[in-house]
Amino acid sequence: MKETLQKFFKIDRRWIFLLLTLALFIPVMKPLGLPNKSIAQETERVYKAIDALPPGSFLMLSLDYDPSTKPELHPMATALVRHAFKKNLRVGVVTYVSGSTGLIEEIFSKVSKEYNKVDGVDYVVFPYMPNVVAALTQMASNMYGIYTVDRNGRDVSTMPVLNGIKNYKNMAMVVCVTGTGIMDSWVALVGDKFNVPVAGGVTAISQPGYGPYLQTGQLKGLLGGMKGAAEYEVLLGQPGKGTSGIDALNLGNLLVLVLILTSNIILLVVKFL
Amino acid sequence: MSEPWMIAGAWLATGLTIALFSFLYKDNPFFKIAEHLYLGAGMGWLFQVSVFSVWGPKIWTPISNGDLMVLVPSILGLSLMTQFIPKISWISRYGFTFLMGYGAGLAIPASLATDFMNQIMGTLQPLAGVSSMTPLAIVNSLIVAVGLVCVLFYFFFSVEHQGHFKKVSNIGVYFLMIYFGASFGNTVMARFSLLYGRFDDLYTFSGGNYFYATQIILAGMVVYFIVHELLRKKEASEGEAAQ
Repeated sequence: MKETLQKFFKIDRRWIFLLLTLALFIPVMKPLGLPNKSIAQETERVYKAIDALPPGSFLMLSLDYDPSTKPELHPMATALVRHAFKKNLRVGVVTYVSGSTGLIEEIFSKVSKEYNKVDGVDYVVFPYMPNVVAALTQMASNMYGIYTVDRNGRDVSTMPVLNGIKNYKNMAMVVCVTGTGIMDSWVALVGDKFNVPVAGGVTAISQPGYGPYLQTGQLKGLLGGMKGAAEYEVLLGQPGKGTSGIDALNLGNLLVLVLILTSNIILLVVKFL
Repeated sequence: MSEPWMIAGAWLATGLTIALFSFLYKDNPFFKIAEHLYLGAGMGWLFQVSVFSVWGPKIWTPISNGDLMVLVPSILGLSLMTQFIPKISWISRYGFTFLMGYGAGLAIPASLATDFMNQIMGTLQPLAGVSSMTPLAIVNSLIVAVGLVCVLFYFFFSVEHQGHFKKVSNIGVYFLMIYFGASFGNTVMARFSLLYGRFDDLYTFSGGNYFYATQIILAGMVVYFIVHELLRKKEASEGEAAQ
């Protein structure tokens, strides 16, 4: 029996890949509709902070992710834009990751139509800017010192959406969605320095690292990974890609759990029998 | 974007995804092509963004409008390129000096305030307001404070970790292990999310409106592996026969 059980540890890992493929692909083809019942406090805090902003407030979104983290961060960014438009907030979008421009375009081409929002009147998308630290520092005094035109080359100084907006003092809140360390710069150079509420959305990998900022209140809230996106969609009442991904995540995590438990039980049996 | 281009894009995306995933079976030329294309396309994209979003609006346009001040940072930036010419590489020091001074000036005060002072305050402040806290909040604050002290002690090497000191240090190790466990769990979840994203696209592109891109490319890949394996076996048997 021992020898039979020990064969389990020599299993070709490609079988595990195949199992994982099935666990993740089946919910894509046929959604199981597994519920997403628990909402994290950090997610709720982001939702409440945005929900409490009066209509017409200026929300700055820093969307800094590229296609490599799209499945986790794109649903978050989409849900945040939807929430902002639903609350009739004015939205400004900046990015410091060159690969994000196409993804930002995709969000606004779709969501702006859902809420009849007009480019330049209700929202503005600024062009990609390298060197986040320099850009954030400059925006503290006068954002038009660095952003003179929008991503289509139109003069931003006369845009209705930016009426009365000059620097951080005029912004109600900043939300940074990123797969990089750019949110650290927003917290250090903007949130802490100018008392602007900063919230964020990050990949699940980065999420535990931001715990200290949440505990001290330096971050007002945090969306973590696809789970965070799904939670925000639930709060917003508009299921999207985040919600549909929860099925796959549940099955995938369950598979890992089963594999860990099985291998540990077999290991114990082999050792003590 | 017009429909033919969307379909072409879907075929390209599907082909590259399947080619990269094929490495899980074994190394093959399709994987190598996709890997090199990824690097090349990434660099190409960054180059065009730099030219059209940085060089154009930040350097070329101001100079064309007579704003010659931008020449100062531009020359400092260009000075870094002299690193490639050993004889005049000393010029790059001016650019680096500026970068280091500017970077340190911005980063040091911000890091001290954000990651040092505010974090210490965040650990101590909750304990100062115990009278107005709920029992759970008190427990939470104590866990944070104890965890901080123990983990810091684990990295304090000037005292030998023996006796009571060892116990404190060991508690620090447990806190670290919990963090690493949470981190690893989140990493697994993040990787599954990314995999789900690719599968979602593969499923979308398997539809008739994309001319069954996923099925056709996947079938092609399977045929390649079968033919390759048969040829390999044939060569091996011919080699054995020759010996």
